[in-house]
Amino acid sequence: MPTELSRMAPRLSGVAIDAGQRARRLERLRALDRRLVTAAELPTPPPRPSFADPMERAERLAVGLGGAVETMPAGPVVVVERRTRLPVDLEPLRRLPYPVDPARPLISLDTETTGLGSSTGTVAFLVGLGSWQGDEFVTQQLLMADHADEPALLQAIDARITTDTWLVTYNGRTFDWPLLETRFRMFRRRAPVHAGHLDLLPIARQVWKHRLADARLASVEAAIAGVQRHEDLPGAMIPDRFFGWLRSGRPELLADVLDHNREDVVSLARLLGVMAGVLADPERRRKEHPGDLAGLARAYARSGRSDDALACYDEALSAWDAGDPAPSRLEWADVAADGARLLSRVHRHVEAEAAWRAVAERGGGSAAWAWIAIAKIREHRHRDVHGALEAAGRALAIVERRRAIGVPLRGAERDLGRRLHRLRRRAARAPVRHPASIG
Amino acid sequence: MRIHAPASVPAVVDRLLEDAVVAAAVVADRTLPQRDAVVRPFPSWLDERLRRGLHARGIEALYAHQAEALELLHAGLDACVVTPTASGKSLCYDLPVLQAVIDDPAARALYLFPTKALGQDQLASLRAFADQAGVELAAGIYDGDTPTLVRQTIRAAGQVVVTNPDMLHAAMLPHHTKWYQLFEQLRFIVIDEAHTYRGIFGSHVANVIRRLLRICAHYGSRPVVVTCSATIGNPLELAESLTGRRPALVDRNGAPSGEKRVLILNPPVVDARLGIRAGALRLAERCALGFLRAERQTIVFGGSRHAVELMLIRLREALREGRGPVSRLRGYRSGYLPTERRAIERGLRSGEVLGVVSTNALELGLDIGRLDAAVLAGYPGSIAATWQRIGRAGRRLEPSAAILVATSHPVDQYVAAHPELLFEATAEEARLDPENLHVLLAHLRAATFELPFEPQERFGQAEAHDLLAFLAEEGHVRQADDGRWYWASENFPASEISLRSGADVNVVIIDTGGDRPRVIGEVDQFSARTLVHEGAIYLHDSRQYHVDRLDWDEQKAYVRPVDVDHYTQAELAVTLKPLETFDAVDTRGGERWHGEVMVSSIASIYKKLRFETLENLGWGRIRLPEIELHTTAYRLALDPAAVADWKRDELDLALVGAGRAMQTVASILLMSDPHDLGLVSQVRSPHAERPVVYLYDGVPGGVGLAGRLFARHSELVAGALDLVRSCACQTGCPSCTGPSLETGGDARAAAIRLLAWLAEQATSRADAA
Repeated sequence: MPTELSRMAPRLSGVAIDAGQRARRLERLRALDRRLVTAAELPTPPPRPSFADPMERAERLAVGLGGAVETMPAGPVVVVERRTRLPVDLEPLRRLPYPVDPARPLISLDTETTGLGSSTGTVAFLVGLGSWQGDEFVTQQLLMADHADEPALLQAIDARITTDTWLVTYNGRTFDWPLLETRFRMFRRRAPVHAGHLDLLPIARQVWKHRLADARLASVEAAIAGVQRHEDLPGAMIPDRFFGWLRSGRPELLADVLDHNREDVVSLARLLGVMAGVLADPERRRKEHPGDLAGLARAYARSGRSDDALACYDEALSAWDAGDPAPSRLEWADVAADGARLLSRVHRHVEAEAAWRAVAERGGGSAAWAWIAIAKIREHRHRDVHGALEAAGRALAIVERRRAIGVPLRGAERDLGRRLHRLRRRAARAPVRHPASIG
Repeated sequence: MRIHAPASVPAVVDRLLEDAVVAAAVVADRTLPQRDAVVRPFPSWLDERLRRGLHARGIEALYAHQAEALELLHAGLDACVVTPTASGKSLCYDLPVLQAVIDDPAARALYLFPTKALGQDQLASLRAFADQAGVELAAGIYDGDTPTLVRQTIRAAGQVVVTNPDMLHAAMLPHHTKWYQLFEQLRFIVIDEAHTYRGIFGSHVANVIRRLLRICAHYGSRPVVVTCSATIGNPLELAESLTGRRPALVDRNGAPSGEKRVLILNPPVVDARLGIRAGALRLAERCALGFLRAERQTIVFGGSRHAVELMLIRLREALREGRGPVSRLRGYRSGYLPTERRAIERGLRSGEVLGVVSTNALELGLDIGRLDAAVLAGYPGSIAATWQRIGRAGRRLEPSAAILVATSHPVDQYVAAHPELLFEATAEEARLDPENLHVLLAHLRAATFELPFEPQERFGQAEAHDLLAFLAEEGHVRQADDGRWYWASENFPASEISLRSGADVNVVIIDTGGDRPRVIGEVDQFSARTLVHEGAIYLHDSRQYHVDRLDWDEQKAYVRPVDVDHYTQAELAVTLKPLETFDAVDTRGGERWHGEVMVSSIASIYKKLRFETLENLGWGRIRLPEIELHTTAYRLALDPAAVADWKRDELDLALVGAGRAMQTVASILLMSDPHDLGLVSQVRSPHAERPVVYLYDGVPGGVGLAGRLFARHSELVAGALDLVRSCACQTGCPSCTGPSLETGGDARAAAIRLLAWLAEQATSRADAA
């Protein structure tokens, strides 16, 4: 190096680099950074075991965690395999409005990383995979013992995710998979092609979140599958555990991380079980919270299956008062309004009007909006100006009552101001017609 | 005679010179002859469509410099293009890029501009040209304002991606895997306005480019790099420092230009004792008015936002007389909305806008067409920037004029006394130091984050191993079993680096005396400690303000107008400790030295001094944090024996005065802002045990200014002597040795004596530099 430097230095601009000088400047920077602590206060660096042989490091980790070393062409990967009895019939998943094909091999996937985001400096050091073998759910956790083993880890993933695989993740579309794509891309390779990807986070948000404090996987699992975790490692501590292992060579630092990851992978399987066994079964889901059914109904509606959606809304509304404790009237009105809107969308206007009437009859602030909706249907669909005026008048009565007690419905007031004005003008010109006379 | 009547540029200049006030101020009057175009035919490989596009623009041949650049880039060779304002520089890279895209639609190019506005301007003109030529081109801008969906398209398919160094640094490189299509197919990197990448900003940008080239190598591409710069003294060296490559220089300008008259004016001295001159703004306005009234398109440059607004108001007032084109005169500076700025640029191109009063915002290559006259109220601080501004005037065939009006600032006075500097000296050198240890370490972290380092890999001029080992101590980087260095932290290092830090941070001065708070000006952080500390009397536009509060964290000073009989003077206690010697050379007058230093400065007290009598009315404390700076410095140490017969006071005076003059000349020599260099003089240095003058680099780690001063020692001393000798004052003034009130005594004579003696020593010995 010195000869090369002496050749470079006079040619290139800037300060000529003298290796000795730079070393001294670094030394001074060290001193500057540490001047606030005395030498005694400096933490003693832990003795760092040196692993000349990558195999040796991987063996040590595998032994410490109860796993085995798998040798890939690019190097060693630690694989920790566990089995749990989890008999599930996944076939009913087909009935649900979610993109999943139970005939394919479903693989649950969850990663543990050195940071958030999918920028290039974040590494997935642990990738947990899980799949059914008969009634048993088998988890395989792939772990790199050193940064240098990442290519081997990626090879191990590549070998397990076939083109036929359907991935099941929690926020995997946004986080885990893009991160893995980044990791493969770092080695100028493509992430494994697979048949599909079912992300349970948006489903959980739609179906269960309304009755939970947050949508974390552990919270959802506790509420839905009744599984409480004990001594679960907070996610924020995970990166430090990995760096700790790299520094100290103590496998036990990663034991909690492995448990946490395995819990997550198994949770995904349990949630799939609940989806197949409860959500996809019209009889069993009747006993669930009506809000869950409303969420499912919305999912059906979004995927264009309006008959299924309407059936779900019906189930939700009819099961409402049986609920214990009964959910609030406001929630009921929201669900009923969703159903009524869907009826309008599929041009079943008579049923839609009936549905809105049901909302109106339950009273409350929603009733004003229900009468406004009825006024719209009568005016625009049935060409019945007088009927519309009558409905708008009922809405006005509610709005005025609300204002009198000091809880005004401002949006409805503004809407009615314009609507009544127009309807009155049109009614003055139109002869009174009975709605039944419409051809 | 009517006040407003069209007239030619030479006629306006003649009329101006008949004005006694203007005539008396002229210190230089040169005519730059007309220059004919040097053209070459289109190269044979140029696609028919591009030829058609050029024809559509009335272009039948290329200028020599364009042809030269085209051949280099087409052959896959790096180029450094140096040509003046509006010489058709963009075509130098746009044509090879478009040709490459025609030959292979997968080819891609990355354009870097220092500001968003420039990027948008260039993209618009590139798209317009591609349309004219009928070439399908997917080009897009990638900056903070780009919507998410557009970003995805640009990543996947943008053949030309236009961005700025900040986005490259913080958004693109740390996410390079999302940009793999771009990096795999990258054929060209265009670095335009490269002369703006100097100082600490340039040092950062050079490291960002190192990271960029490292990522390109990872994806197997080796793009051609084209660097474009305005005229500076060391374009090749700048391009080398920035890119780490050795490009071929293209600097033979083939663009034609009409005859140009250049005048330098120095307003007359009104107070010889204090060395105060008449205002430069008034004189500049007087000149500008002549052109505007004659319907000649004119640009007026002011040194600050405040100066711009003031000139704009007064010029409009003057134009109103005789119903002049008031609405066709516009202001232009940062703080105006982008849409407003675009409208002004368009108006200038179409001729609808007759005049514009601007800050340096219009110094860069934004396309505003070519104007008839440029009036510079104040020397812009460097020869290169002066020519950039002067270059705004100059049509291809008709004559044009440029007028530079000097202020009483020392650098301006130096130029006024040595107008040949502007015409004959080569432009300044742009300095940056990519090896600045602070900058280097910061970017090494970011680079490790982006891609692990191979055991023997270099980063910049040397192997990265030692530096990585240093970083490993703080735990963010680790060496794995395979010998590679990996990022091992949750942190996102790019977010910890701001490319434009340091001197860009200004303290805003807010007048709370009116109906609502009003910003009246700003000062840089270093000056703020002595100018707007609490209790200071701040002078602004000949009004006095009392500083009620200085919010140091928020960078705001709250002031209110007062009328008092005194002013304040703060004392800045600066201590300087040499840490390491890089080089020291004996001269018979003493020794010149450069090395690493630690500078600590604290403003602790201020004095209240009565006007006229300078009687001390009391003092106050300043409570501001001490600032420490670990940087590099140049030092001139005098031989104690040789100055043994000097009185101590006299020597102090001479050191301060000579130091000030050297500081001024140094900023001229090195194309740096005078604030970039700090000055410390000591009659008896505790370290060198001799009388010394230090000039230190104002940013952590320095950008190589000190080393250059060390090398150009004799020029520095000779220049300083010249500056003080040719000053019109009697005993020293702010324009040469610093404010005489501060030093007292005959600073001028003392400084001349010291510098003359040093200059003699320097010339009597062969200077090793």
